Amino acid sequence: MSLGEPNLSRRPDGAALFIALVLAVIAAVIIWQTSMMRVPPIQAKVGPQVFPYVIAGGLVLLSIGTALSAWRGQFPAREKDNYGPMLWIIGGLVAQMLLLGWAGFSIGTAILFAFTAKAFGRGPLWQTIPIGFVLAFVIWFIFSRGLQLALPMGPLERLIP
Amino acid sequence: MNKLLLAALISSAIAVPAFAADYTIMAPAAPGGGWDQTARSMQEALQAEGISGNVQVTNVPGAGGTIGLAQFVNQFNANPNALIVGGYVMVGAVLTNASPVSLANVTPIARLTGESDVIVVPAASELKTVDDLIAKLKADPGSVSWAGGSAGGVDHIAAGLFAKTVGVDPTTVNYIAFSGGGEALAAVLGGQVTVGISGLGEFDAQIKSGDLRALATTGSARLEGSEIPTLGEAGVDLVVENWRMVAAAPGITDEQKTAIGADIEKLVSSATWKQTLATKGWQDMYLGGTDFDAQLAADTEATSAILKEIGLVQ
Amino acid sequence: MDTFGLLANGLVAALQWQNLLYALLGVTLGTAVGVLPGIGPALTVALLLPVTYRLDPTGSLIMFAGIYYGGMYGGSTTSILLNTPGESASIVTALEGNKMARKGRGGPALATAAIGSFVAGLIATIALAFLAPWVVKVALSFGPADYFALMVLAFITVSAAFGDSPLRGVTALFIGLGLGVIGIDLQTGQARLVFGIPDLLDGIEVTTLAVALFAIGETLSIASSRTQMKEEVLAVKGSVWMTLEDWKRSWGPWLRGTLIGFPIGAMPAGGAEIGTFFSYAAERRLAKHPEEFGHGAIEGVAGPEAANNASAAGTLVPLLTLGLPTSATAAIMLAGFQQFGLQPGPLLFANNAPLVWSLIASLLVANFMLLVLNLPLIGLWVKLLTVPRPWLYAGILTFATLGTLGANGAMSGRLGPIPFSFELLILLAFGILGYGLRRFGYPIAPVVIGLILGPLAEQQLRRALAISQGDPMVLVHTPIAITLYIVAAAAVLIPLYFRLRGKGAVLSQMASDED
Repeated sequence: MSLGEPNLSRRPDGAALFIALVLAVIAAVIIWQTSMMRVPPIQAKVGPQVFPYVIAGGLVLLSIGTALSAWRGQFPAREKDNYGPMLWIIGGLVAQMLLLGWAGFSIGTAILFAFTAKAFGRGPLWQTIPIGFVLAFVIWFIFSRGLQLALPMGPLERLIP
Repeated sequence: MNKLLLAALISSAIAVPAFAADYTIMAPAAPGGGWDQTARSMQEALQAEGISGNVQVTNVPGAGGTIGLAQFVNQFNANPNALIVGGYVMVGAVLTNASPVSLANVTPIARLTGESDVIVVPAASELKTVDDLIAKLKADPGSVSWAGGSAGGVDHIAAGLFAKTVGVDPTTVNYIAFSGGGEALAAVLGGQVTVGISGLGEFDAQIKSGDLRALATTGSARLEGSEIPTLGEAGVDLVVENWRMVAAAPGITDEQKTAIGADIEKLVSSATWKQTLATKGWQDMYLGGTDFDAQLAADTEATSAILKEIGLVQ
Repeated sequence: MDTFGLLANGLVAALQWQNLLYALLGVTLGTAVGVLPGIGPALTVALLLPVTYRLDPTGSLIMFAGIYYGGMYGGSTTSILLNTPGESASIVTALEGNKMARKGRGGPALATAAIGSFVAGLIATIALAFLAPWVVKVALSFGPADYFALMVLAFITVSAAFGDSPLRGVTALFIGLGLGVIGIDLQTGQARLVFGIPDLLDGIEVTTLAVALFAIGETLSIASSRTQMKEEVLAVKGSVWMTLEDWKRSWGPWLRGTLIGFPIGAMPAGGAEIGTFFSYAAERRLAKHPEEFGHGAIEGVAGPEAANNASAAGTLVPLLTLGLPTSATAAIMLAGFQQFGLQPGPLLFANNAPLVWSLIASLLVANFMLLVLNLPLIGLWVKLLTVPRPWLYAGILTFATLGTLGANGAMSGRLGPIPFSFELLILLAFGILGYGLRRFGYPIAPVVIGLILGPLAEQQLRRALAISQGDPMVLVHTPIAITLYIVAAAAVLIPLYFRLRGKGAVLSQMASDED
């Protein structure tokens, strides 16, 4: 995998070096956790620890390979990220997750819907949240009442017998 | 002001879960499995017999029911409308997963149904009786590979207890765990393992067709009309039954417990429930009140002891 | 009566008008629920099972078959159009299918999936009717050592087939393998890598990972990219229908996919997704234009889709002949049979022949119904791509979270007084991982494949060694295992040989592999 000629025109790729570091850390965590396992005295040559160690070993090698590749600047070129829209989407997912338990499916999902639409440039929120709410409520009604799928209920869902 | 309102909303939403239902039954498993079917059959019978007006079933799958159990205890403390379905599997899962919540944290109501395990060998096997199996096990425990469900489950416990009862060190049992869905059956049929040990329902059709030979069941009595001996009849003093139960929330009053117990008793004596048992092929193992509490304590103790001996629990 | 006569009787029963109506209803419901990401055929059937309770046995079985096949088909539609596989067996479909859809060839992709599913379903159902007892014998002769050999073959063919860079492909695979270790170890009951979190005891759910990496990761990736936000999506370019060229390139993969999928589905420890991996790898090797793979090769849709459906019918072989449910869907179908007091197993064909044959007949009817229903709808489905981005992705995330909640909606997490669904947290975490992978040019599919194949390979290896009491020779003890290893070796060595013959091309090829 490192047979290709190093591309000298590219500089070391910082972000890709970071990936190599993350892989090494994951390998370390796997080794640490696995070494703390208590293995029951069941007679088996290949116990529950072997596979985790093999995988961790593989990750260490891949980490080295990634570091070399990053050093030579062999990762594909990337465009600059636009973080605003991403944060809207992640914010929507987090908000939905935290709202579902007590505000119910429809309200939580309405926020996710509106925030995602916002990320893709459609607003304003006071218009998209009601749209999302109606959609989510209809979905909730079909799946919860029609198909007996257990979806989280909030005060509004409880109004429907 | 807004914060207060929010706090009030949150607390009211958490404190009053689902007041529309007379009973909320939690099945601590995914839709389709044994506990889920039990919960849904209860729902059907409770409503059909007019014992309860409105019954809802929720599924909380995971880790042998311990995730559902933990959530049940947290969410429904002192709630007389909440029920949870569980079973013997949970007893073992609580121990092997070191679950912080156990069946001691809920209010057991009654044992409902159950099934015994059966020990089978392929039709072509040299093992004809339980004694043959004991002899082979004593000669070389490692040479007998047992196929059954997941490690620490009923099948594993039954295999361990069998070895212990016939005087073989349970840690030497060569138990091969298979995930559910008949993989163990395939391994026995294909002659990949020496014996199979699992619920009678898993192997029943192959025993009847003659592809498998049943050596013994682990039940306390023979099934009606069955030719398969129990372990007791075969000279091994051991009973392992995989039962299913229903429990209520922790912290309910004695009156509430009695009232729920009465509803469940009405349920099990109803025609709808008996019909369900017949179609699903479930064995009626109803045991309520203090008798069940005693049985549960005894089962928990025996399970804990064998899991420690096998080395799965410290 | 001979098999033909029995099948004909079954067909007569299935073709009564009210039964056709049930089939239509089942197919429609199944497709509708099946298109939801995260809700595959198993959950679809489980959810809709109560709907069938009230019908007579034949009608109920027919509806059942319709739901089953409809659920399978629904999963591929979202895979192709939205790059959001509804279930693990349609992950591979997304690879080429979505690339086709983005080039305005969504119509032909859906058509080759539909017709391939039909062809495979037809052949496999007929094979089920005539070859079941024989196939099941072969399937049962697979022991743990043979399964391990099969997994080795799968790893080798699959890892060679994904992505442009071996380094990044293998890294993605190892991330999946690492995720596969999380949870309770089946053989010893001990928890691995769960960090004291009870929700991790059952491991990472494959559908949650797939929905997160594909649907959430894709959404984040597109939202963060200025060029992709501006890129126009073509709903239709050229014909909605398959061209003659498409037909020519599809029929081979359909048949090969069926041939691969059916036996793997029939194996007690096979599984629909493994057949799709093999089919994709095979098509990539056999294709006349391998360079098109990764950019929308129709063979990469036709083969896996056929394999997927063939293995669904294959699953019924052990279910009907042995009572062995080999997949989650089959387990739920078993529950469905039991509501009529039908006990699948060796005595089923003898005791309940008419009902079994009407089931097989209804599978054929459902299969045909699906084709009839879906071909005209392709034009409509493709319109999905013209939905403006904000609404489309808001909808995708809504349904992705709905599917995840539906499969496991337990509010088992807690942040102060606020309960939340741990499964959604996992969905979000892996969604961000999916974005990161895309950003740095890592392929997505190997992660999911690692999660599926890793635990299978590990368990089978450990079972084999436990049964043999530690003797490693057991791994090469059977003719099946030896054959599989030879095929695996050939899969590695033959391409290497051809590469070495054309040395000049090799170096440039390897250099370009890096990017």
